Amino acid sequence: MEAALPESARGGVAKPSSEADARRRRAFIYGLIAFLLVASLPFLPVNNYIIAAVVRALIFISLGQAWNVVAGIGGLLSLGHGVFLGIGCYTTGILFNQYGIPPWLGVWVGAVLSLLVALVMGSMTLRMRGVFFALATVAASLAMVQISRHFVDLTGGADGLALKFFGNSWWAAQSRTPAPFLYASLAFVTLYYWITRWILNSKLGLEMQAVRDDEVAAAAAGVAVFRTKMLGLLVSAAMTALAAGLYMQFYMAIDPEAAFGLSQAIQLQLPALIGGLGTAWGPIIGGAVMIFLSEVTNWGGTKIGVSGVDILVYGLMLLVVVLYAPKGIVGSVLRNAMKGADR
Amino acid sequence: MNAPAVALEVRNIARNFGGVVALRDVTFSVREGEVVGLIGPNGAGKSTLFEIVSGNIRPSGGRVAYFGRDCTTMASHLRRRAGMCRTFQKVRLFESMTVRQNISVAASQCLPKGRDLGEEVNNILAQMRLEHQAERRPSELTLADRKRVEIGRAIAGHCRLLMLDESLSGLTHDEAEHLIDEIMQLNRARGITVIVVEHVLSVLAAMVQRLVVLHNATVIADGTPSEVAHDPVVIEAYLGTKQKALR
Repeated sequence: MEAALPESARGGVAKPSSEADARRRRAFIYGLIAFLLVASLPFLPVNNYIIAAVVRALIFISLGQAWNVVAGIGGLLSLGHGVFLGIGCYTTGILFNQYGIPPWLGVWVGAVLSLLVALVMGSMTLRMRGVFFALATVAASLAMVQISRHFVDLTGGADGLALKFFGNSWWAAQSRTPAPFLYASLAFVTLYYWITRWILNSKLGLEMQAVRDDEVAAAAAGVAVFRTKMLGLLVSAAMTALAAGLYMQFYMAIDPEAAFGLSQAIQLQLPALIGGLGTAWGPIIGGAVMIFLSEVTNWGGTKIGVSGVDILVYGLMLLVVVLYAPKGIVGSVLRNAMKGADR
Repeated sequence: MNAPAVALEVRNIARNFGGVVALRDVTFSVREGEVVGLIGPNGAGKSTLFEIVSGNIRPSGGRVAYFGRDCTTMASHLRRRAGMCRTFQKVRLFESMTVRQNISVAASQCLPKGRDLGEEVNNILAQMRLEHQAERRPSELTLADRKRVEIGRAIAGHCRLLMLDESLSGLTHDEAEHLIDEIMQLNRARGITVIVVEHVLSVLAAMVQRLVVLHNATVIADGTPSEVAHDPVVIEAYLGTKQKALR
Protein backbone atom coordinates (compact mmCIF):
# COMPACT_ATOMS: atom_id res chain seq x y z
CA MET A 1 0.00 0.00 0.00
CA GLU A 2 1.29 3.44 -0.87
CA ALA A 3 2.12 5.55 2.12
CA ALA A 4 1.03 9.12 2.64
CA LEU A 5 3.89 11.56 2.36
CA PRO A 6 5.13 13.42 5.42
CA GLU A 7 4.03 17.04 5.57
CA SER A 8 7.54 18.31 4.86
CA ALA A 9 7.74 16.38 1.60
CA ARG A 10 4.42 17.55 0.19
CA GLY A 11 4.09 20.65 -1.90
CA GLY A 12 1.09 22.78 -1.21
CA VAL A 13 0.83 21.77 2.42
CA ALA A 14 4.50 21.70 3.22
CA LYS A 15 4.55 24.97 5.10
CA PRO A 16 1.00 25.61 6.22
CA SER A 17 0.46 29.28 6.80
CA SER A 18 -2.41 30.63 8.86
CA GLU A 19 -3.89 32.05 5.65
CA ALA A 20 -3.80 28.69 3.91
CA ASP A 21 -5.26 27.07 7.03
CA ALA A 22 -8.10 29.58 7.00
CA ARG A 23 -8.81 28.89 3.32
CA ARG A 24 -8.74 25.15 3.94
CA ARG A 25 -11.18 25.58 6.82
CA ARG A 26 -13.40 27.73 4.60
CA ALA A 27 -13.39 25.12 1.82
CA PHE A 28 -14.29 22.44 4.36
CA ILE A 29 -17.16 24.52 5.77
CA TYR A 30 -18.56 25.23 2.26
CA GLY A 31 -18.33 21.51 1.51
CA LEU A 32 -20.08 20.61 4.73
CA ILE A 33 -22.89 23.10 4.08
CA ALA A 34 -23.38 21.69 0.57
CA PHE A 35 -23.37 18.15 1.98
CA LEU A 36 -25.98 18.99 4.65
CA LEU A 37 -28.12 20.88 2.15
CA VAL A 38 -28.19 17.94 -0.26
CA ALA A 39 -28.79 15.45 2.57
CA SER A 40 -31.77 17.46 3.83
CA LEU A 41 -33.47 17.70 0.41
CA PRO A 42 -36.01 14.91 1.11
CA PHE A 43 -37.15 16.87 4.19
CA LEU A 44 -37.56 20.14 2.31
CA PRO A 45 -40.53 21.10 0.12
CA VAL A 46 -38.78 19.79 -2.98
CA ASN A 47 -40.38 17.45 -5.49
CA ASN A 48 -38.92 14.12 -6.62
CA TYR A 49 -37.90 15.54 -10.00
CA ILE A 50 -35.44 17.90 -8.34
CA ILE A 51 -34.13 15.14 -6.08
CA ALA A 52 -33.69 12.86 -9.11
CA ALA A 53 -31.79 15.62 -10.91
CA VAL A 54 -29.48 15.96 -7.90
CA VAL A 55 -28.96 12.19 -7.88
CA ARG A 56 -28.04 12.32 -11.57
CA ALA A 57 -25.54 15.07 -10.79
CA LEU A 58 -24.04 13.10 -7.90
CA ILE A 59 -23.72 9.93 -10.00
CA PHE A 60 -21.96 11.86 -12.77
CA ILE A 61 -19.75 13.53 -10.19
CA SER A 62 -18.73 10.09 -8.89
CA LEU A 63 -18.05 8.81 -12.40
CA GLY A 64 -16.21 12.02 -13.25
CA GLN A 65 -14.10 11.72 -10.11
CA ALA A 66 -13.17 8.17 -11.13
CA TRP A 67 -12.09 9.40 -14.59
CA ASN A 68 -10.26 12.29 -12.95
CA VAL A 69 -7.98 9.84 -11.14
CA VAL A 70 -6.59 8.31 -14.31
CA ALA A 71 -6.77 11.34 -16.60
CA GLY A 72 -6.49 14.33 -14.29
CA ILE A 73 -3.94 13.04 -11.82
CA GLY A 74 -2.30 10.39 -13.99
CA GLY A 75 -2.47 12.18 -17.34
CA LEU A 76 -3.77 9.11 -19.19
CA LEU A 77 -6.40 10.25 -21.65
CA SER A 78 -9.01 7.53 -21.48
CA LEU A 79 -11.56 8.25 -24.22
CA GLY A 80 -13.41 5.01 -23.64
CA HIS A 81 -14.01 4.95 -19.93
CA GLY A 82 -17.54 3.85 -20.71
CA VAL A 83 -16.05 0.34 -20.97
CA PHE A 84 -15.81 0.20 -17.18
CA LEU A 85 -19.20 1.86 -16.74
CA GLY A 86 -20.76 -0.67 -19.10
CA ILE A 87 -19.06 -3.66 -17.51
CA GLY A 88 -20.25 -2.50 -14.07
CA CYS A 89 -23.82 -1.94 -15.25
CA TYR A 90 -24.19 -5.09 -17.33
CA THR A 91 -22.54 -7.34 -14.76
CA THR A 92 -24.76 -6.07 -11.95
CA GLY A 93 -27.85 -6.29 -14.15
CA ILE A 94 -27.16 -9.74 -15.63
CA LEU A 95 -26.26 -11.27 -12.27
CA PHE A 96 -29.45 -9.86 -10.78
CA ASN A 97 -31.86 -10.68 -13.60
CA GLN A 98 -30.46 -14.08 -14.57
CA TYR A 99 -29.05 -15.45 -11.32
CA GLY A 100 -30.83 -13.51 -8.60
CA ILE A 101 -27.58 -12.18 -7.17
CA PRO A 102 -28.28 -8.88 -5.40
CA PRO A 103 -26.51 -5.77 -6.68
CA TRP A 104 -24.69 -5.45 -3.36
CA LEU A 105 -22.64 -8.47 -4.47
CA GLY A 106 -22.93 -8.08 -8.23
CA VAL A 107 -21.26 -4.69 -8.19
CA TRP A 108 -18.07 -6.25 -6.77
CA VAL A 109 -18.04 -8.84 -9.55
CA GLY A 110 -18.34 -5.93 -12.02
CA ALA A 111 -15.40 -4.20 -10.33
CA VAL A 112 -13.26 -7.34 -10.58
CA LEU A 113 -14.15 -7.77 -14.28
CA SER A 114 -13.30 -4.12 -14.90
CA LEU A 115 -9.97 -4.60 -13.18
CA LEU A 116 -9.22 -7.57 -15.44
CA VAL A 117 -10.13 -5.62 -18.59
CA ALA A 118 -8.07 -2.64 -17.39
CA LEU A 119 -5.16 -4.97 -16.69
CA VAL A 120 -5.28 -6.38 -20.22
CA MET A 121 -5.72 -2.93 -21.82
CA GLY A 122 -2.95 -1.46 -19.70
CA SER A 123 -0.53 -4.32 -20.32
CA MET A 124 -0.90 -3.84 -24.06
CA THR A 125 -0.72 -0.07 -24.24
CA LEU A 126 0.83 1.61 -21.20
CA ARG A 127 4.44 0.96 -22.20
CA MET A 128 3.87 2.99 -25.35
CA ARG A 129 4.10 6.74 -25.42
CA GLY A 130 1.69 9.04 -27.20
CA VAL A 131 -1.89 8.39 -28.21
CA PHE A 132 -1.88 4.60 -28.15
CA PHE A 133 -3.61 4.32 -24.79
CA ALA A 134 -6.35 6.76 -25.85
CA LEU A 135 -6.87 4.86 -29.12
CA ALA A 136 -6.93 1.52 -27.28
CA THR A 137 -9.70 2.75 -24.99
CA VAL A 138 -11.75 3.87 -27.99
CA ALA A 139 -11.17 0.51 -29.68
CA ALA A 140 -12.22 -1.33 -26.52
CA SER A 141 -15.41 0.77 -26.37
CA LEU A 142 -16.30 -0.05 -29.97
CA ALA A 143 -15.61 -3.73 -29.36
CA MET A 144 -17.81 -3.72 -26.26
CA VAL A 145 -20.69 -2.14 -28.20
CA GLN A 146 -20.56 -5.05 -30.66
CA ILE A 147 -20.14 -7.68 -27.94
CA SER A 148 -23.10 -6.35 -25.95
CA ARG A 149 -25.23 -6.32 -29.12
CA HIS A 150 -24.18 -9.85 -30.03
CA PHE A 151 -25.03 -11.72 -26.81
CA VAL A 152 -28.73 -10.93 -26.91
CA ASP A 153 -29.74 -13.56 -24.34
CA LEU A 154 -27.48 -12.03 -21.72
CA THR A 155 -27.47 -8.33 -22.55
CA GLY A 156 -30.75 -7.79 -24.36
CA GLY A 157 -28.84 -6.83 -27.50
CA ALA A 158 -29.41 -3.43 -29.04
CA ASP A 159 -32.60 -2.98 -26.96
CA GLY A 160 -30.58 -3.14 -23.78
CA LEU A 161 -31.12 -4.65 -20.38
CA ALA A 162 -33.86 -3.61 -17.96
CA LEU A 163 -33.73 -4.67 -14.33
CA LYS A 164 -36.60 -6.69 -12.92
CA PHE A 165 -38.42 -4.32 -10.63
CA PHE A 166 -39.27 -5.36 -7.08
CA GLY A 167 -40.58 -2.01 -5.78
CA ASN A 168 -39.08 -0.74 -2.56
CA SER A 169 -36.51 -3.38 -1.67
CA TRP A 170 -33.24 -3.19 0.25
CA TRP A 171 -32.26 -6.62 -1.01
CA ALA A 172 -32.66 -5.53 -4.65
CA ALA A 173 -31.37 -2.02 -3.88
CA GLN A 174 -34.46 -0.57 -5.54
CA SER A 175 -36.84 2.20 -4.61
CA ARG A 176 -39.92 3.88 -5.99
CA THR A 177 -38.59 7.27 -4.86
CA PRO A 178 -35.18 8.83 -5.51
CA ALA A 179 -34.44 9.67 -1.85
CA PRO A 180 -32.50 6.45 -1.01
CA PHE A 181 -30.38 6.99 -4.11
CA LEU A 182 -29.68 10.51 -2.96
CA TYR A 183 -27.96 9.20 0.16
CA ALA A 184 -26.18 6.43 -1.71
CA SER A 185 -24.86 8.80 -4.35
CA LEU A 186 -23.91 11.38 -1.71
CA ALA A 187 -21.93 8.67 0.06
CA PHE A 188 -20.19 7.83 -3.23
CA VAL A 189 -19.29 11.48 -3.88
CA THR A 190 -17.94 11.90 -0.34
CA LEU A 191 -15.97 8.66 -0.49
CA TYR A 192 -14.54 9.41 -3.95
CA TYR A 193 -13.59 12.93 -2.86
CA TRP A 194 -11.60 11.52 0.06
CA ILE A 195 -10.03 8.85 -2.13
CA THR A 196 -8.91 11.54 -4.59
CA ARG A 197 -7.60 13.71 -1.74
CA TRP A 198 -5.75 10.73 -0.33
CA ILE A 199 -4.21 9.90 -3.72
CA LEU A 200 -3.14 13.52 -4.26
CA ASN A 201 -1.37 13.55 -0.88
CA SER A 202 0.15 10.09 -1.18
CA LYS A 203 3.37 8.83 -2.67
CA LEU A 204 1.31 7.24 -5.46
CA GLY A 205 -0.25 10.64 -6.23
CA LEU A 206 3.14 12.31 -6.44
CA GLU A 207 4.36 9.55 -8.75
CA MET A 208 1.26 9.83 -10.95
CA GLN A 209 1.65 13.60 -11.26
CA ALA A 210 5.34 13.20 -12.08
CA VAL A 211 4.52 10.71 -14.83
CA ARG A 212 1.77 13.02 -16.12
CA ASP A 213 4.19 15.96 -16.29
CA ASP A 214 7.13 14.14 -17.88
CA GLU A 215 7.55 10.38 -18.21
CA VAL A 216 11.25 10.47 -19.02
CA ALA A 217 12.05 12.80 -16.13
CA ALA A 218 9.89 10.68 -13.82
CA ALA A 219 11.88 7.55 -14.70
CA ALA A 220 15.08 9.56 -14.18
CA ALA A 221 13.75 10.40 -10.70
CA GLY A 222 13.31 6.70 -9.95
CA VAL A 223 9.57 6.40 -10.61
CA ALA A 224 8.43 3.06 -12.06
CA VAL A 225 6.42 4.62 -14.89
CA PHE A 226 4.54 1.54 -16.11
CA ARG A 227 3.58 0.41 -12.62
CA THR A 228 2.40 3.90 -11.71
CA LYS A 229 0.22 4.21 -14.82
CA MET A 230 -1.20 0.74 -14.27
CA LEU A 231 -2.08 1.46 -10.64
CA GLY A 232 -3.83 4.69 -11.64
CA LEU A 233 -5.81 2.89 -14.33
CA LEU A 234 -6.82 0.05 -12.01
CA VAL A 235 -7.97 2.39 -9.25
CA SER A 236 -9.98 4.43 -11.75
CA ALA A 237 -11.51 1.35 -13.43
CA ALA A 238 -12.63 -0.08 -10.08
CA MET A 239 -14.07 3.27 -8.98
CA THR A 240 -15.99 3.59 -12.27
CA ALA A 241 -17.39 0.06 -12.09
CA LEU A 242 -18.53 0.51 -8.47
CA ALA A 243 -20.26 3.81 -9.29
CA ALA A 244 -21.78 2.02 -12.31
CA GLY A 245 -23.60 -0.26 -9.89
CA LEU A 246 -25.35 2.78 -8.47
CA TYR A 247 -26.00 4.09 -12.00
CA MET A 248 -27.69 0.81 -12.92
CA GLN A 249 -29.88 0.73 -9.82
CA PHE A 250 -30.98 4.32 -10.35
CA TYR A 251 -31.65 4.21 -14.10
CA MET A 252 -32.86 0.56 -13.97
CA ALA A 253 -31.72 -0.04 -17.55
CA ILE A 254 -28.68 0.05 -19.78
CA ASP A 255 -28.10 -0.33 -23.51
CA PRO A 256 -24.93 -0.56 -25.61
CA GLU A 257 -24.89 3.11 -26.57
CA ALA A 258 -25.63 4.37 -23.04
CA ALA A 259 -22.86 2.14 -21.68
CA PHE A 260 -20.10 2.18 -24.24
CA GLY A 261 -21.08 4.97 -26.63
CA LEU A 262 -18.88 7.95 -27.36
CA SER A 263 -21.38 10.50 -26.02
CA GLN A 264 -21.49 8.66 -22.70
CA ALA A 265 -17.68 8.59 -22.57
CA ILE A 266 -17.62 12.35 -23.15
CA GLN A 267 -20.19 12.91 -20.41
CA LEU A 268 -17.97 11.00 -18.00
CA GLN A 269 -15.13 13.39 -18.78
CA LEU A 270 -17.08 16.64 -18.53
CA PRO A 271 -17.27 17.03 -14.71
CA ALA A 272 -13.49 16.94 -14.37
CA LEU A 273 -12.82 18.93 -17.55
CA ILE A 274 -15.25 21.68 -16.57
CA GLY A 275 -14.45 21.68 -12.87
CA GLY A 276 -10.69 21.22 -13.02
CA LEU A 277 -8.53 18.23 -13.96
CA GLY A 278 -6.40 16.69 -11.26
CA THR A 279 -8.19 18.39 -8.38
CA ALA A 280 -10.49 16.78 -5.80
CA TRP A 281 -13.04 19.60 -5.94
CA GLY A 282 -13.04 19.92 -9.74
CA PRO A 283 -15.39 17.07 -10.67
CA ILE A 284 -17.78 18.05 -7.86
CA ILE A 285 -18.11 21.63 -9.05
CA GLY A 286 -17.98 20.63 -12.73
CA GLY A 287 -20.63 17.93 -12.33
CA ALA A 288 -22.95 20.25 -10.40
CA VAL A 289 -22.63 23.01 -13.00
CA MET A 290 -23.08 20.51 -15.83
CA ILE A 291 -26.29 18.93 -14.57
CA PHE A 292 -27.74 22.26 -13.40
CA LEU A 293 -27.26 23.88 -16.81
CA SER A 294 -28.46 20.79 -18.61
CA GLU A 295 -31.65 20.60 -16.51
CA VAL A 296 -32.37 24.31 -16.92
CA THR A 297 -31.88 24.20 -20.68
CA ASN A 298 -33.89 20.98 -21.04
CA TRP A 299 -36.70 22.63 -19.10
CA GLY A 300 -36.45 25.69 -21.36
CA GLY A 301 -36.24 23.46 -24.42
CA THR A 302 -39.40 21.61 -23.41
CA LYS A 303 -41.22 24.92 -23.09
CA ILE A 304 -40.35 25.86 -26.66
CA GLY A 305 -40.70 22.33 -27.99
CA VAL A 306 -37.01 21.59 -28.72
CA SER A 307 -35.40 18.44 -27.32
CA GLY A 308 -31.78 17.41 -26.73
CA VAL A 309 -30.59 20.90 -25.83
CA ASP A 310 -28.45 19.47 -23.01
CA ILE A 311 -26.02 17.91 -25.50
CA LEU A 312 -25.61 21.32 -27.14
CA VAL A 313 -25.02 22.86 -23.72
CA TYR A 314 -22.35 20.26 -22.88
CA GLY A 315 -20.57 21.07 -26.12
CA LEU A 316 -20.73 24.80 -25.52
CA MET A 317 -19.52 24.41 -21.92
CA LEU A 318 -16.58 22.36 -23.10
CA LEU A 319 -15.76 24.97 -25.73
CA VAL A 320 -15.89 27.81 -23.21
CA VAL A 321 -13.70 25.90 -20.75
CA VAL A 322 -11.11 24.99 -23.38
CA LEU A 323 -10.95 28.58 -24.66
CA TYR A 324 -11.19 30.62 -21.47
CA ALA A 325 -10.46 28.35 -18.51
CA PRO A 326 -8.33 25.41 -19.64
CA LYS A 327 -7.61 24.47 -16.03
CA GLY A 328 -11.33 24.27 -15.28
CA ILE A 329 -13.35 26.24 -12.77
CA VAL A 330 -11.24 25.24 -9.79
CA GLY A 331 -7.96 25.57 -11.65
CA SER A 332 -8.70 28.93 -13.28
CA VAL A 333 -11.63 30.81 -11.81
CA LEU A 334 -11.34 29.72 -8.18
CA ARG A 335 -7.54 29.44 -8.17
CA ASN A 336 -6.97 32.47 -5.99
CA ALA A 337 -9.90 31.80 -3.68
CA MET A 338 -8.73 28.24 -3.07
CA LYS A 339 -5.00 28.91 -3.02
CA GLY A 340 -3.47 26.92 -0.19
CA ALA A 341 -6.61 24.92 0.37
CA ASP A 342 -6.58 21.28 -0.70
CA ARG A 343 -7.99 21.46 -4.17
CA MET B 1 46.15 1.60 -0.80
CA ASN B 2 43.36 0.20 -3.04
CA ALA B 3 42.53 2.07 -6.23
CA PRO B 4 38.99 3.52 -6.30
CA ALA B 5 36.35 1.22 -7.74
CA VAL B 6 35.23 1.64 -11.36
CA ALA B 7 31.95 3.51 -11.11
CA LEU B 8 31.03 3.30 -14.78
CA GLU B 9 32.39 1.14 -17.53
CA VAL B 10 31.26 1.65 -21.09
CA ARG B 11 32.53 -1.18 -23.26
CA ASN B 12 32.32 -1.29 -27.09
CA ILE B 13 29.03 0.57 -27.18
CA ALA B 14 27.45 0.94 -30.62
CA ARG B 15 24.18 2.44 -31.68
CA ASN B 16 22.64 2.79 -35.12
CA PHE B 17 19.49 4.67 -36.04
CA GLY B 18 18.53 2.99 -39.30
CA GLY B 19 21.53 3.56 -41.52
CA VAL B 20 22.98 6.32 -39.35
CA VAL B 21 25.81 5.33 -37.02
CA ALA B 22 25.40 7.37 -33.84
CA LEU B 23 28.02 5.51 -31.78
CA ARG B 24 30.72 3.08 -32.81
CA ASP B 25 32.87 1.00 -30.47
CA VAL B 26 32.82 3.55 -27.65
CA THR B 27 34.88 2.43 -24.67
CA PHE B 28 35.87 4.32 -21.53
CA SER B 29 35.57 4.03 -17.78
CA VAL B 30 35.14 6.39 -14.85
CA ARG B 31 36.52 5.71 -11.38
CA GLU B 32 34.60 6.42 -8.18
CA GLY B 33 35.05 10.03 -7.04
CA GLU B 34 36.35 11.27 -10.41
CA VAL B 35 35.02 14.30 -12.25
CA VAL B 36 35.14 13.50 -15.96
CA GLY B 37 34.22 15.71 -18.90
CA LEU B 38 32.68 14.35 -22.07
CA ILE B 39 33.16 16.68 -25.01
CA GLY B 40 32.64 16.63 -28.72
CA PRO B 41 31.09 18.68 -31.49
CA ASN B 42 27.36 18.58 -32.27
CA GLY B 43 26.40 15.18 -33.62
CA ALA B 44 29.39 13.45 -32.08
CA GLY B 45 27.09 11.13 -30.11
CA LYS B 46 27.33 12.59 -26.59
CA SER B 47 23.60 12.77 -25.99
CA THR B 48 23.00 9.29 -27.42
CA LEU B 49 25.71 7.95 -25.12
CA PHE B 50 24.05 9.69 -22.16
CA GLU B 51 20.70 8.18 -23.05
CA ILE B 52 22.24 4.72 -23.33
CA VAL B 53 24.07 5.00 -20.01
CA SER B 54 20.94 6.26 -18.24
CA GLY B 55 18.78 3.52 -19.78
CA ASN B 56 16.50 5.48 -22.08
CA ILE B 57 17.94 3.95 -25.24
CA ARG B 58 19.18 0.38 -25.71
CA PRO B 59 22.56 0.08 -27.43
CA SER B 60 22.86 -1.89 -30.68
CA GLY B 61 25.97 -3.52 -29.23
CA GLY B 62 28.35 -3.41 -26.28
CA ARG B 63 27.65 -3.19 -22.57
CA VAL B 64 27.40 -0.75 -19.68
CA ALA B 65 28.52 -1.72 -16.18
CA TYR B 66 27.78 0.29 -13.05
CA PHE B 67 30.05 -0.48 -10.08
CA GLY B 68 30.87 -3.82 -11.67
CA ARG B 69 27.27 -4.81 -12.34
CA ASP B 70 26.08 -5.17 -15.94
CA CYS B 71 23.16 -2.78 -16.33
CA THR B 72 22.90 -2.70 -20.13
CA THR B 73 19.27 -3.86 -20.09
CA MET B 74 18.28 -2.43 -16.71
CA ALA B 75 15.28 -0.04 -16.69
CA SER B 76 16.15 3.62 -16.17
CA HIS B 77 14.19 3.97 -12.92
CA LEU B 78 16.09 1.02 -11.42
CA ARG B 79 19.41 2.62 -12.41
CA ARG B 80 18.30 5.79 -10.67
CA ARG B 81 17.35 3.90 -7.53
CA ALA B 82 20.80 2.30 -7.61
CA GLY B 83 22.30 5.79 -7.51
CA MET B 84 22.88 6.56 -11.21
CA CYS B 85 21.52 10.09 -11.57
CA ARG B 86 21.22 12.52 -14.45
CA THR B 87 20.07 15.91 -15.65
CA PHE B 88 18.83 16.78 -19.12
CA GLN B 89 20.19 19.02 -21.86
CA LYS B 90 16.89 20.93 -21.85
CA VAL B 91 15.80 21.21 -18.21
CA ARG B 92 12.93 18.79 -17.55
CA LEU B 93 11.13 19.55 -14.31
CA PHE B 94 7.66 18.54 -13.15
CA GLU B 95 6.02 21.84 -14.04
CA SER B 96 2.79 21.34 -12.08
CA MET B 97 4.71 20.69 -8.87
CA THR B 98 6.56 22.93 -6.47
CA VAL B 99 10.33 22.79 -6.10
CA ARG B 100 9.89 20.80 -2.88
CA GLN B 101 7.66 18.26 -4.60
CA ASN B 102 10.09 17.94 -7.52
CA ILE B 103 12.79 16.91 -5.07
CA SER B 104 10.38 14.81 -2.98
CA VAL B 105 9.49 12.64 -5.98
CA ALA B 106 13.09 11.45 -6.35
CA ALA B 107 13.82 11.34 -2.63
CA SER B 108 10.74 9.21 -1.96
CA GLN B 109 11.88 6.65 -4.56
CA CYS B 110 15.56 6.48 -3.79
CA LEU B 111 16.02 7.16 -0.09
CA PRO B 112 17.67 4.26 1.75
CA LYS B 113 15.58 2.74 4.55
CA GLY B 114 15.93 4.41 7.90
CA ARG B 115 16.51 7.91 6.58
CA ASP B 116 13.87 10.60 7.02
CA LEU B 117 12.27 11.83 3.78
CA GLY B 118 11.41 15.33 5.01
CA GLU B 119 14.89 15.82 6.40
CA GLU B 120 16.49 14.68 3.15
CA VAL B 121 14.34 17.09 1.11
CA ASN B 122 15.24 19.96 3.44
CA ASN B 123 18.93 19.05 3.22
CA ILE B 124 18.85 19.07 -0.57
CA LEU B 125 17.00 22.41 -0.60
CA ALA B 126 19.66 23.87 1.69
CA GLN B 127 22.56 22.35 -0.24
CA MET B 128 21.28 23.71 -3.55
CA ARG B 129 20.38 27.08 -1.94
CA LEU B 130 16.70 26.63 -2.79
CA GLU B 131 15.07 27.03 0.63
CA HIS B 132 13.37 30.27 -0.36
CA GLN B 133 12.11 28.82 -3.63
CA ALA B 134 10.76 25.61 -2.09
CA GLU B 135 7.07 26.42 -2.51
CA ARG B 136 7.43 27.98 -5.96
CA ARG B 137 6.69 26.27 -9.22
CA PRO B 138 9.42 25.85 -11.85
CA SER B 139 7.82 28.42 -14.17
CA GLU B 140 8.52 31.10 -11.54
CA LEU B 141 12.26 30.37 -11.41
CA THR B 142 15.29 31.67 -13.31
CA LEU B 143 17.16 29.28 -15.58
CA ALA B 144 19.97 28.97 -13.04
CA ASP B 145 17.50 28.03 -10.30
CA ARG B 146 15.72 25.57 -12.58
CA LYS B 147 19.07 23.89 -13.24
CA ARG B 148 19.75 23.77 -9.50
CA VAL B 149 16.35 22.15 -8.90
CA GLU B 150 17.13 19.57 -11.55
CA ILE B 151 20.48 18.78 -9.95
CA GLY B 152 18.81 18.69 -6.51
CA ARG B 153 16.22 16.24 -7.83
CA ALA B 154 18.97 14.19 -9.44
CA ILE B 155 20.97 13.74 -6.23
CA ALA B 156 17.99 13.38 -3.85
CA GLY B 157 17.80 10.15 -1.92
CA HIS B 158 20.77 8.20 -3.15
CA CYS B 159 23.32 9.28 -5.74
CA ARG B 160 26.71 7.75 -6.53
CA LEU B 161 27.13 8.81 -10.14
CA LEU B 162 25.84 12.17 -11.40
CA MET B 163 25.66 12.77 -15.13
CA LEU B 164 25.20 16.42 -16.09
CA ASP B 165 24.06 17.15 -19.63
CA GLU B 166 25.14 20.69 -20.53
CA SER B 167 24.08 22.02 -17.14
CA LEU B 168 26.19 25.15 -17.58
CA SER B 169 24.85 26.20 -20.96
CA GLY B 170 22.71 29.33 -21.03
CA LEU B 171 24.07 30.59 -17.71
CA THR B 172 25.95 33.82 -17.13
CA HIS B 173 29.62 33.58 -16.16
CA ASP B 174 28.81 34.14 -12.46
CA GLU B 175 25.91 31.70 -12.47
CA ALA B 176 28.08 29.07 -14.14
CA GLU B 177 30.87 29.58 -11.59
CA HIS B 178 28.43 29.23 -8.69
CA LEU B 179 27.00 26.06 -10.16
CA ILE B 180 30.47 24.62 -10.71
CA ASP B 181 31.26 25.33 -7.06
CA GLU B 182 28.12 23.49 -6.02
CA ILE B 183 28.88 20.52 -8.27
CA MET B 184 32.44 20.31 -6.94
CA GLN B 185 31.05 20.52 -3.41
CA LEU B 186 28.77 17.55 -4.17
CA ASN B 187 31.78 15.66 -5.49
CA ARG B 188 33.84 16.40 -2.37
CA ALA B 189 31.21 16.31 0.38
CA ARG B 190 29.04 13.45 -0.86
CA GLY B 191 31.75 11.59 -2.76
CA ILE B 192 29.62 11.66 -5.90
CA THR B 193 31.31 10.68 -9.15
CA VAL B 194 30.51 13.28 -11.83
CA ILE B 195 30.37 13.08 -15.63
CA VAL B 196 29.84 16.41 -17.35
CA VAL B 197 28.88 16.93 -20.97
CA GLU B 198 29.80 20.44 -22.05
CA HIS B 199 30.78 22.51 -25.03
CA VAL B 200 32.74 25.14 -23.09
CA LEU B 201 36.09 23.43 -22.81
CA SER B 202 37.75 26.27 -20.90
CA VAL B 203 35.15 25.82 -18.13
CA LEU B 204 35.53 22.05 -18.11
CA ALA B 205 39.32 22.19 -18.06
CA ALA B 206 39.25 23.89 -14.66
CA MET B 207 36.69 21.49 -13.30
CA VAL B 208 37.46 17.97 -14.47
CA GLN B 209 40.31 15.56 -13.86
CA ARG B 210 39.86 13.78 -17.17
CA LEU B 211 38.37 14.48 -20.56
CA VAL B 212 36.87 11.97 -22.97
CA VAL B 213 36.54 13.34 -26.49
CA LEU B 214 33.93 11.98 -28.89
CA HIS B 215 34.13 12.67 -32.58
CA ASN B 216 32.28 11.04 -35.47
CA ALA B 217 30.56 8.58 -33.11
CA THR B 218 33.69 7.28 -31.46
CA VAL B 219 36.21 8.16 -28.74
CA ILE B 220 39.28 9.87 -30.17
CA ALA B 221 41.00 10.90 -26.92
CA ASP B 222 40.89 10.13 -23.21
CA GLY B 223 43.25 11.90 -20.79
CA THR B 224 43.85 14.90 -18.58
CA PRO B 225 42.70 18.27 -19.94
CA SER B 226 46.28 19.16 -20.70
CA GLU B 227 46.93 15.89 -22.56
CA VAL B 228 43.75 16.29 -24.56
CA ALA B 229 44.51 19.89 -25.43
CA HIS B 230 47.87 18.84 -26.83
CA ASP B 231 46.62 15.75 -28.63
CA PRO B 232 47.14 16.34 -32.36
CA VAL B 233 44.16 14.16 -33.29
CA VAL B 234 41.87 16.23 -31.09
CA ILE B 235 43.30 19.49 -32.35
CA GLU B 236 42.76 18.46 -35.93
CA ALA B 237 39.35 16.88 -35.45
CA TYR B 238 37.63 19.15 -32.99
CA LEU B 239 39.53 21.99 -31.38
CA GLY B 240 41.14 23.62 -34.36
CA THR B 241 44.07 25.12 -32.44
CA LYS B 242 45.38 24.72 -28.93
CA GLN B 243 44.95 28.42 -28.25
CA LYS B 244 41.36 28.38 -29.36
CA ALA B 245 40.66 25.35 -27.22
CA LEU B 246 41.89 26.75 -23.96
CA ARG B 247 40.80 30.31 -24.48
